[in-house]
Amino acid sequence: MGFFSKFRKKSPWILHYNTGGCNGCDIEILSALAPRYDIERFGMLNRGNPKQADILLVTGPVTKNCKDVLRRLYLEMAEPKVVVAMGACAHGGGIFRNFYHVENGVNNIIPVDVWIPGCAPRVEALIDGMVEAIEIWQQKSKEKEYLRDHEKVIKTLGVEDDG
Amino acid sequence: MGKIIVPFGSQHIALPEPISFLFETENEIITKVEAHIGYVHRGIEKAAITKFEYTQLPYLTARVCGLCSITHAGAVVHGIEKLMDIEVNKRIDYLRMLVVELDRIHSHLLANGHVAEVVGYENLFMQTFRAREDVMDVLEAITGNRVQYDYQTIGGVARDMDSEIAEFAKKKLKKLKDNVLKVMEFHDSDYTFGLKTKGIGVISKEMAAKYNTAGPVARASGLDTDVRAEFDYLPFEEVGYKMQLRSEGDVWARNMVRFDEILNSIEMCENILNNLPEGEYKVKVKGRPKGEVVVRVEAPRGECFYYLRGSGKKVMDRVRIRVPTYANIPILKELFLGAKYSDAQAIVLSFDPCMSCTAR
Repeated sequence: MGFFSKFRKKSPWILHYNTGGCNGCDIEILSALAPRYDIERFGMLNRGNPKQADILLVTGPVTKNCKDVLRRLYLEMAEPKVVVAMGACAHGGGIFRNFYHVENGVNNIIPVDVWIPGCAPRVEALIDGMVEAIEIWQQKSKEKEYLRDHEKVIKTLGVEDDG
Repeated sequence: MGKIIVPFGSQHIALPEPISFLFETENEIITKVEAHIGYVHRGIEKAAITKFEYTQLPYLTARVCGLCSITHAGAVVHGIEKLMDIEVNKRIDYLRMLVVELDRIHSHLLANGHVAEVVGYENLFMQTFRAREDVMDVLEAITGNRVQYDYQTIGGVARDMDSEIAEFAKKKLKKLKDNVLKVMEFHDSDYTFGLKTKGIGVISKEMAAKYNTAGPVARASGLDTDVRAEFDYLPFEEVGYKMQLRSEGDVWARNMVRFDEILNSIEMCENILNNLPEGEYKVKVKGRPKGEVVVRVEAPRGECFYYLRGSGKKVMDRVRIRVPTYANIPILKELFLGAKYSDAQAIVLSFDPCMSCTAR
C-alpha cells in the first residue's frame, strides 16, 4: 500500500451525473448531503470536476444525447475509480426500457461496480451503496488491476472516435 | 479584451440535471448565449400511445419528473376521469389536494435551498434542507415513499389515511412552519444575501406578460396567473388558497414568492387535515376513455398542460404534455444578455428549471 492510499479512503469525492432520469434520485442525493443524513461523515463531497473525483454516481437510463458525455466523464476520471448506478432506470432502463431515445442502462456504456435498486432508492440505500463503493475502491487501489485492464477498457469504450 | 466562450453544463456542480449553455462573454458580461435542452429526451409521449395502457399512464407520467410527479400523475388521472365520467367523492379530492400541496412545499424548499447554495450560502442551503426533511417525513407517512408516490390512481387514491397519521402530520407541519419562518426571515433581512440576489435578473410585469411566463416566475413580477384559481380541478378555494404576488421580479422576489406559497400551502394542509370528510378512498370504475379533453394543473413551477384523446381502446390515441419550464426558457435566454457571468448560476436556479419535464 502506497503512502497516499492510506489516507485516500477518508476522502472519496463524488462526481454526480444525471443521464436522463426523472430527477427523483438526484434530489435524494441532495438530501444525502443535507444535515439529516450527512454523507460528509464518510468524507464524501460532491465535486463537479471529473479530474478530482473518485466515485462516479450515475442516475438515469442513459439517453442517446447523454451517452457521449457519460463516456467522456468516465475516461477523464483518474484511476482507481468506482462507478455506482442508482435507481431502477439505471438498471437496464426500468420503465423507460426500449424507448426510442434510450440506451437501456448504464452498463451498456461503462462498467458498473455497485448497483442501488429502487424507484427512487431511499437515502439509507444510497449511503449503503456508497460505503460498499469505498471498499471496492480500496480493493482496486491495492491490486492495481486497472493497469492490467487498461487496454481492454479503452478498446471497448472506443476513444478513437471521441473527436 | 477578446471574446471568451464559457461552457456551462451539461455536467456542472450547480446543476442536478443535464442542460448546457454556451456563454459568449466580454469582460465578464454575457453577450451571447446558446442553450441546449434536449439531453433528457426519452420519448415519453410516444411510449404513452404505443407501450402503455391507460391504467398504467399515471405511473408513466409520474416518471416525467421526480419533483412534480404528483402533478403529472394527477393531470392524467383527472383527464381520464373526465373522459370516463367518473365522479369522485370529497374525501378523495381532499386527500389528493393534501399530497399536491405537500409536494409543492418540498419542491419550493429545494429550489430556495439551491439558490442559497449557488450564491455562496452553503449553511443556508443546509438549514433549508433540514427544514425540508419534515415534509418528506409527512409525505412518506401518507404515501409510503419519499419521492415517487404513485398516490393518485384512476377513481381514487392508493391508500387511505388514518387519524394517527393526521396527528403526526399536524405536529410536523407546525415544526416546519417555525423553521420556514426562520429561514425566510434571514432571506428578508440579510444584507449580503441581498447584494447577491436583489436587482439581479429583473423581469418587469410587461416582459413577463410578453414572454408568457408561468408560475412563481410570473407571480414574482406581479403577473397574476395561477391555474389553481383559473381551472376547476380540485377545490382549492375551500381550504384557503390565496394567490401570492410580489412586484420586484428579481432573484430575491422569486425566492420570496416561493416562501409565501410554502406558508400558504402549510395553512391549506392544516385546513385539510382538520376538516377531512368521511367516505371511501376509492370509487368503482367502468368503461374506457373516449373523446378528447384538455387539462391544466398547477405544478410547483407553473402551468402544466395535458391534452388527452382516446377512442374507446386500451391505449390512448394522443398524449400531449406542455410543462412550465418550457414556457420559461425564452425569457431565461433574454435575461442572460448583459448580465455578469458570476450571476448566471443564480439566475438559472431562481427559475427552478426542471429539464426532465422540459425534454420529457
